[in-house]
Amino acid sequence: MSDLKVFTIKKNIQEDNKAIANQTRDHLGAQGAFMVNVMSSPGSGKTTTLVSTIHALKETLAIGVIEADVDSDVDARAVQDAGARAVQMHTGGLCHLDATMAKGGIDALGCEDLDLVFLENIGNLICTVGYDTGAHKNIAILSVPEGDDKPLKYPMMFAKVDALLISKIDVMPYFDFNMQRLEERVRALNPNVAIFPMSAKTGEGLTPWLGWLTQAMKGAKHD
Amino acid sequence: MHELGIVYEVIKVVDGFVKENQLTYMDKIVLEIGQLSQAIPRFIEQCYPAAVSDTPYIHTVLEIITLPAMGICKICGTNYNIVEHKKICPHCGGESFQLLTGQEFNIKEIVAR
Repeated sequence: MSDLKVFTIKKNIQEDNKAIANQTRDHLGAQGAFMVNVMSSPGSGKTTTLVSTIHALKETLAIGVIEADVDSDVDARAVQDAGARAVQMHTGGLCHLDATMAKGGIDALGCEDLDLVFLENIGNLICTVGYDTGAHKNIAILSVPEGDDKPLKYPMMFAKVDALLISKIDVMPYFDFNMQRLEERVRALNPNVAIFPMSAKTGEGLTPWLGWLTQAMKGAKHD
Repeated sequence: MHELGIVYEVIKVVDGFVKENQLTYMDKIVLEIGQLSQAIPRFIEQCYPAAVSDTPYIHTVLEIITLPAMGICKICGTNYNIVEHKKICPHCGGESFQLLTGQEFNIKEIVAR
């Protein structure tokens, strides 16, 4: 006779991740550090955007960057050269960061003396958005060459972010990218998202994004 | 291939439960995976043997129950499978819906002693 029993667990596998992410948010908040999770496809200009953001804010804020890539440390060097403290994480083939990995990056970076921390997620428009990393705000970057149809193809990413940066607008004349159509497609998924068309190369459109970011940081301090 | 990481997470949770309840033999793990979850059941099944190969769960069976992606039409209130009907209400043709189920990834139960 079998003495096996059924044990009901009914545990959402994301629950543990969410708990760790909440701890991270509280922990960073208590230290006065604000974390932004930056997501996009590979080659959209995450690092270049961060470099120009760091250049613009480094006089007033202490900034750290956690770089996550499958391999190499080129991104960490680039943001370090711009004036941020950086750590490079290697995910060894994994396609997203979860809260535990993000925490590892935060511990390695040491955030006690930092005001602003960017978590540069792995280049991927799909599963990165499914995991709470403990960031205070989540943003995505879509570059003009990728096309204005991406919100149709990867709706979850565009539905869930707090802000969307449209990068590389300096090359708009060469691509069939319709900004109005893009905005309509994004707003259908996410009515309140902040959208910032910009070029990290020319500096065009950088100011509204920096304004949003500093406002978001102030908002977190008053929460 | 992020399913392997997810399976490791499942094993971690199950292992915690086993130790907490001082179980000695694990027969089966039952997962509930929503149709819109980021995990693909076929991939979960494929990487499961690798994930348990060095654990006490090498002979534990994995069972997956797929939960349908159900939505409720915001116009006429009909419940329908949004994947099968491509997000269009089969009753009134409305394209506005609220998702009810389909994003789950649960460890439903384990069979053990």
